[in-house]
Amino acid sequence: MERKIRVVMAKLGLDIHWRGVYLVSQFLKDAGMEVIYLGNKFPEQIVEAAIEEDADVVGLSTLGGNHLALGPKVVNLLKKKGMDKIKVFMGGVIPPKHIPLLKKKGIYEIYGPDTPMEVIIKGISDSVSVN
Amino acid sequence: MSEEAKNAKCLFSEEHVRLIKENYDDWFKNCLRDDDRAMEGKYFTHSGIPVKLIYTPADTEDIHYMEDLGFSGKPPYVRGVYANMYRGRLFTVRQLAGLGAPEDCNKRVKYLLDHGATGVSILFDLPTIRGYNSDDPEAEGNVGQCGAAVDSIWDIDAFFADIDLGTVSTSIVTHLPSTSLVIPGMYFAVAEQRGTPITKLAGTCQNDFIMETCVGSAPEILPPSVSFRMQCDVVEWICKNVPRWNPISFNGYNLREAGTNAITEVGIAVANAIATSEELIKRGMKFDDFAPRMSFFWDLHNDFFEEIAKCRASRKIWYKIAKERFGAKNEKSLLMRFHVQTAGVTLPSTEPLNNIGRSAIQGLAAVFGGCQSLHLDSYDEAYSAPTEEAALVSLRTQQIIQTETGVVNTVDPLAGSYYLEYLTEEMTKRVFAYVENIEAMGGLVSAVESGWLHREISNYNNKYQKDIETGAMKVVGVNFMKSEDANITPIEVFEYPETYRRQKAKLKRLRKERDNQKVKGCIKILREKCHSKENLFPYCMDAVKNLVTHGEIAEVFREEFGLWPFPLIS
Repeated sequence: MERKIRVVMAKLGLDIHWRGVYLVSQFLKDAGMEVIYLGNKFPEQIVEAAIEEDADVVGLSTLGGNHLALGPKVVNLLKKKGMDKIKVFMGGVIPPKHIPLLKKKGIYEIYGPDTPMEVIIKGISDSVSVN
Repeated sequence: MSEEAKNAKCLFSEEHVRLIKENYDDWFKNCLRDDDRAMEGKYFTHSGIPVKLIYTPADTEDIHYMEDLGFSGKPPYVRGVYANMYRGRLFTVRQLAGLGAPEDCNKRVKYLLDHGATGVSILFDLPTIRGYNSDDPEAEGNVGQCGAAVDSIWDIDAFFADIDLGTVSTSIVTHLPSTSLVIPGMYFAVAEQRGTPITKLAGTCQNDFIMETCVGSAPEILPPSVSFRMQCDVVEWICKNVPRWNPISFNGYNLREAGTNAITEVGIAVANAIATSEELIKRGMKFDDFAPRMSFFWDLHNDFFEEIAKCRASRKIWYKIAKERFGAKNEKSLLMRFHVQTAGVTLPSTEPLNNIGRSAIQGLAAVFGGCQSLHLDSYDEAYSAPTEEAALVSLRTQQIIQTETGVVNTVDPLAGSYYLEYLTEEMTKRVFAYVENIEAMGGLVSAVESGWLHREISNYNNKYQKDIETGAMKVVGVNFMKSEDANITPIEVFEYPETYRRQKAKLKRLRKERDNQKVKGCIKILREKCHSKENLFPYCMDAVKNLVTHGEIAEVFREEFGLWPFPLIS
C-alpha cells in the first residue's frame, strides 16, 4: 500500500484563531493525507512531534503576527536535528513583504487567506513527491 | 388591550389577504417562467431560512402590530430600544485602537478622538489576552502584535495619558473572563489614582467564557466552569461598584467569526445571558440589579436583510426572556443594547479596496438594525490591524452614514417590508428553538464541556469553505470575477518592533521598584480565594494596585484551576 503523506499541523505560539488551521487539516485529511493536529505549540514541541510522527510536512498557522519570530525557528530546529527533509509550510495572515523573508529563511511555501484548498493540497503533495 | 383588539386581523383585513393569495397563485402560474418556478424553494438566507421570489402581506398576515412590533422604546422593542433612537443620540462611532506599546496606542486613541470618534475600543496583543507578561518566553513573537501589550497598571496609565477617563467611553476588549478580572481593575484603579470616582466611569468590558473556551481557545485554557465563574464574578462586582459600566458583552461577534451562522450567534449569546442571570440570582442578586448593564455584541455579515432581521429579532427575544422568564420590573432590564462590528471574516486580502464597499454595506445594515455603537472593519483587515489611513476611511464611512444618507432621521426605516418582517419572525422562532436545544443539553456550560459547540463551529466552517471552493458561495475578486492583475494595491502594515524591548525594560523596572513583599502577599491571598466561593475581582484589583503583573495573576489561575484540553485535538 502506498504510504500516506503525513502532515503535522500546529497553531504557532499563543495565536488563538483556530478556524483556518483546523479547516485546512480537515481538507488535507479528506484529500487522503494523515494529519496530526497539535493545537497551539511552540517550535520545540512542534519539531519534537514532527519527528515522532514521522512527518513529511509541518504546517504552521499564524494570524497573530509571530510568523517572523517563530516560523524560521521551526526550520532551524529541524535542520539542527538533521531532519530538514521535513518541509515547513505556513498559512494565515502574513504581510506580503514578509513572504520573501520567510522563504529565504527556509519556509517552503506560504498561503494567504484566500488560497483555495486545492492549491494547498497540491503544494503539499508536490513538495513530498520531490523527495 | 381588549379581546377584540387582540383578535383583530393584524395589519391587513382578511378579505384583502384572501385577494392577495388568489392573485399570487395566478401570478405564480401565469407570469413566471418555468425556470423561475423550478427555482422556487431553492433560495435560502445565509443561515438557511427559505427565501421566496416575492413577499406580500400574506406572508406577514399573522403579525399583530402592537404585540409583535410596537413603537420604538416600547415592548417588544423590535423597532429600537429608545423612543427617539438616533434623533436622540447617534450610535457611538467606536473604532479600535491598539497596537504596539501602550504609549503608541495613546497616540492612536487621541487621533481617533480628535477626528470625532466618540468612544474607543482598546485591543490587546495575544500574550495580554492570554495572560502572559511581555517578557515571558511564551509571549515570543507576539508582543505588541494585533493589539497593545499590557503587563501592569503602569501600561493602562500610559495608554490613557492626558485622556480624561471621566468623559471618554472605553470598551476594553479583554475577551476572556480571566483577563476581565484583571485589566478593567487596572483601568478603575488608574481612574481612582487620578481622582475620578469609579462610579463616573463609562465603558464596557468584553467578558465571555465562550470566548475563552470555544472561540479563542487553544490547548491550555481554563476549564469552562471556571471561566464561567470568573465571568459572573466580573459582572457581580462591577454591577455593585461601577454602576455606569457594562461588565459583560455577550460576544456573538467572535463566535460568528470563528464560524457560525446568525442563528447560532444570537442563540449562544442569549443562552449565555440566561446562564449568567441564573448564576447571579443564585448568588443573591436580583435580575433588575444586573440586567440593565448587560450588553451584546453582534457581527454584521453579508446577508443584508437577514442581518437586519437578526438585530430586530434579538431585541424581541431578550425582551421576552427578561419579562417572562426572569420577571423583570425595571424597564431597562428589558432592553437588548448591542455593539456591532462588521464581519472581518468577509474581507479578503484580494483587491482589498473592495472591502471599503463591503464594510459600508454591513455598517448600513447595522444602522437599519438599530445598533448602539458601531465599528467598521478596515480594508486591510486581512493584512494587519488597521493602519492609520485605513482606520480613518472606516471612521469617515461611519460619519457618511450618519450625516449624508439620511437613514438616521427616522426610526427603523425598513419596518413593514414584507420580507424583513417575515425574516424577523423566522429568526425569532429559530433562535428560541436553538436556545431550547441548549437547555435540553443541560445548559450552556455543559454543552461547551461536551465539545458540542466546537463541533458546531467546525461543521459550519467545513461547509462554508466547501461552498467557496465549489463556487456555491461567490466572493467577488476571489472565486468570482477574478482579475488578472489582482493585489495591485500595496498595503502597508504596522510594525512596532520596539515594543518587546520597551515592555521588557518596563517590567524590569517595575519588579525593582515595587514592594515585593506586598506582591507576594497579594498573590498568596488570591491563590487561597481561588478555592473559595468569594468573588475574585477585588483581590485582583488589590493585586494590580500593588503592581502585581497581569501575567503573575494569570499564572495563579493556571496553577490553581488547571487547564482544559481543546476538544478537537487529534
